[in-house]
Amino acid sequence: MAAVDALPDDVARVALDLPLRANLSALDNIALIPLYQRHYSAAESSRLAQAMLDQLGYAGIAPLRDPDMTPAQRFVTKLARALILKRPRLVIDRPGAMLYDVAYPSFIRQLAVQAEMTGTWEIFDFSWNQALYQA
Amino acid sequence: MNFLAASIESLGAKVVGWFTVGYGMFAFLAKAGLLLLEPATWNRATFDVVVKQIYFTAVQILHVFLGYALVISWLIITIILSTARDFGLTEFASEMTIRVLVLELLPFLTALFVALRSGSAINTEVALMQVNNELDALAHCKVPPMQFEFLPRLIGGVVSVVTLAGLAGLLALLMGYLAIYGMNVAGFEPYTRTIAKIFDFRIMAGLIAKCALFGLAVTLIPVTAGLETPKKLFMVPVSVLRGMMRVFFAIVAIEVVSLALKYI
Repeated sequence: MAAVDALPDDVARVALDLPLRANLSALDNIALIPLYQRHYSAAESSRLAQAMLDQLGYAGIAPLRDPDMTPAQRFVTKLARALILKRPRLVIDRPGAMLYDVAYPSFIRQLAVQAEMTGTWEIFDFSWNQALYQA
Repeated sequence: MNFLAASIESLGAKVVGWFTVGYGMFAFLAKAGLLLLEPATWNRATFDVVVKQIYFTAVQILHVFLGYALVISWLIITIILSTARDFGLTEFASEMTIRVLVLELLPFLTALFVALRSGSAINTEVALMQVNNELDALAHCKVPPMQFEFLPRLIGGVVSVVTLAGLAGLLALLMGYLAIYGMNVAGFEPYTRTIAKIFDFRIMAGLIAKCALFGLAVTLIPVTAGLETPKKLFMVPVSVLRGMMRVFFAIVAIEVVSLALKYI
């Protein structure tokens, strides 16, 4: 996975080794980005974060904290956090390690349709999982 | 000979370890201090986290803390008054009460209270953040951990200890008055005169500086101890143990230096 570690700064990563802040809700984890990077107000940051969750079809997970989420909900929160970074490339690193409760290629495909974002999504996965994506 | 060499080697390793820890703490403090001077640090987000930290460290425990300060103050005042009466030193009772309680005991107990409640929590949380890669995740998202996680805790700790010690001191002054003069207003003039005599500028500045150092010790040391934690979950209790021992030694050292500066 050296290729993932060497990714440049303009890549937003969704990975098992980039967890959510455990004591923050899903909404606050996402709202941190506009709050600190773009210096938006807390209310505006929360509104943007909620809009991102709405867009992905997971509005209800906003108040949940990391330990209270299912793997799929946790993945969606991480994805929303990566999307709100607005970087040109999005890398999903070994999704099987995060999405062990759903058929993940179709799940990610569905989220990609809902997200309607510009830029590219790339999935880094083990070669023996290639067949899953061709199904 | 081998035993001697091993002992010297072990002692040397310990001394180097202490210097490394000390250097790490001061480097962290310097970084935090420099960041405080940057106008960009003072954005709404950091301010909100500072307010939240002060709420969790001071406001949330206020009723418990004031109850505890009330009991301790009442007990110490009663002991001082009865001892002063036994030795015929009643005229010094108010001054002794103020010096022992307001200047020494209450700030020290406040620091211990905040260290045990918030310092240990901060140490554990930072250690878990370090072990779970949460700090790396924040760095990946370009959310500065210093501004978002650490600086608000340091400011919150200093503000909380200074405020709580101040409130406990005011409560002790009131209790002292009631214990010495009761509900009689005739004692107001001599009592306030004693207070004014004790609390000159030097003593006030020293008291505030001591409380601020206590506040810094109970937050800075747990944060740096948490950051030193190796990325292994079983090391979290060890990190908290080390951090809290350092906090205890730092609090005692600050108190000893303050006493020495005042009375020697």
